[in-house]
Amino acid sequence: MPHHVVSDLVANVLSIAVQVGDTVEVGAEIALLESMKMEIPVLTEEAGTVSEVKVEVGDVVQEGDILAIIE
Amino acid sequence: MAHQPNEASATASAATKPKPDRATDPRNPRLRLAEFFDEGSLELITPEDDSGMLAAVGTCQGTPVAAFCSDATIMGGAMGVAGCKVVLAAYERALADGIPVVGIWHSGGARLPEGVVSLHAVGEVFAIMTRASGKIPQISVVIGAAAGGAAYGPALTDIVILAPDGRIFVTGPDVVRSVTGEAVDALRLGGPEPHGRRSGVVHVVTESTEQAYERGRQLCSLLADQGTLDVSGIEDLDLEETFPESAKRAYDVHPVVDNVLDKDADSVELHPRWAPNIVTQLGRFGGRTVGVIANNPMRLGGCLDSPSAEKAARFVRMCDAFGVPLIVLVDVPGYLPGVGQEWDGVVRRGAKLLHAFAEATVPRVTLVTRKTYGGAYIAMNSRSLGATKVFAWPTAHVAVMGSVAAIRILHRRRLAEVDDAERAAVEQQLADEHDLMSGGLARAVEIGVVDEIVEPTATRSALATAIAEAPQRRGDHGNIPL
Repeated sequence: MPHHVVSDLVANVLSIAVQVGDTVEVGAEIALLESMKMEIPVLTEEAGTVSEVKVEVGDVVQEGDILAIIE
Repeated sequence: MAHQPNEASATASAATKPKPDRATDPRNPRLRLAEFFDEGSLELITPEDDSGMLAAVGTCQGTPVAAFCSDATIMGGAMGVAGCKVVLAAYERALADGIPVVGIWHSGGARLPEGVVSLHAVGEVFAIMTRASGKIPQISVVIGAAAGGAAYGPALTDIVILAPDGRIFVTGPDVVRSVTGEAVDALRLGGPEPHGRRSGVVHVVTESTEQAYERGRQLCSLLADQGTLDVSGIEDLDLEETFPESAKRAYDVHPVVDNVLDKDADSVELHPRWAPNIVTQLGRFGGRTVGVIANNPMRLGGCLDSPSAEKAARFVRMCDAFGVPLIVLVDVPGYLPGVGQEWDGVVRRGAKLLHAFAEATVPRVTLVTRKTYGGAYIAMNSRSLGATKVFAWPTAHVAVMGSVAAIRILHRRRLAEVDDAERAAVEQQLADEHDLMSGGLARAVEIGVVDEIVEPTATRSALATAIAEAPQRRGDHGNIPL
């Protein structure tokens, strides 16, 4: 089943650490968000290949928004 | 080979008999209790019969514990009058001896054929659990289905451990389907994923039944054999080592918690995946059991929100009831803002944490590592709520809000006139002036809301001395499942 890497909270996307096709391990940083005056890395809980990146730098994401999909 | 004929005959008898032999059935409660307790320590206190429950005493890491176990070989472990009497016997023994009681659950709930009388009996179990609440540690190990009445039994106890085959629900998949039309299986309805991450019903999810028993034994030892704090045995180490360089950068607080607690000692994190923006963990500190509560900036920036306040509040009250001192590691930007939070009752649920800390009489020591702002500053065991001692690292910020956020409000008009190119520099200058004027950490010490500034390399011993010097009290209250 594909794993959805989602944002926990409303935030700005500061940077994206992966591209489609990248292989990632558990705990790899997918994106860096900015919220509550903090820079918060979002890590994947599953290993696999990045099949889709759903956001761009500068986007505002809402709680539950999918950042990337790992197959 | 010699054993082959025996194996063959066992297979043959299994084929002719519809049920496995009760003596060797892995669901036999005597076998389960024997597996749970320290090896060879099992002593039954009720007869092996058709009641559907079995009670015993034994030891967990050497400490005496009472336990009861569902008999899933009879009617799926359903609870009738006789079975509930067995549970009461385990509780009465535990209360009389002042020892923990552990329930090993595999039960479909009340016995249907007995009718209302079985509901009454299950209700009596709930009543004695409530009477025992806060007096003796109660731990539930759910290793099979625990439905209906058998779901609320564990829910009333202090800590619920769920093994991979454990399922907890009020009504099973069949009833859900017939009433609401929703198609759902038992795993998705009440397995480790929903209860470990979403509902907060389960404190500890394990990878095997064996590990569930092991966690149960560790928790019995941590709560019932708390030991004494040996201050001279506390070694200092650089607790700041695992922090990122930038103060804005989020980090996982688990390594910090692990560094505060004794290495090579049992430690159990409760609710690790539910409300992960706060960490609640039992462990040893200088040999003594302590509870650690820590904001985790990696999740939601470490903000407090409805579930995390509730999770922490229940943990504080449990530790207070059993006399477990608290270490509170604070790095909190505030309460999480948003419509969802307000509608979710962040005011009501956040108030539980204020109440829990203000009520607590155990030694409870606070350490501000990086920052503590606003309402969350108060909630995280502040001086005003009666903290035993409040420490802060030299670079910590203690304020109503971050200084940049503050000057954006205080100097809104002036900043509106500044060019975009210069804004960051002007903001920083105003923020520095604001820090000087509001006094920052020095002012917090002056007015007494921070007792002492400690270096990260001297923090463990400072925490230990503060806990050891405080009156060792425990709260006189139950542990309602908040």
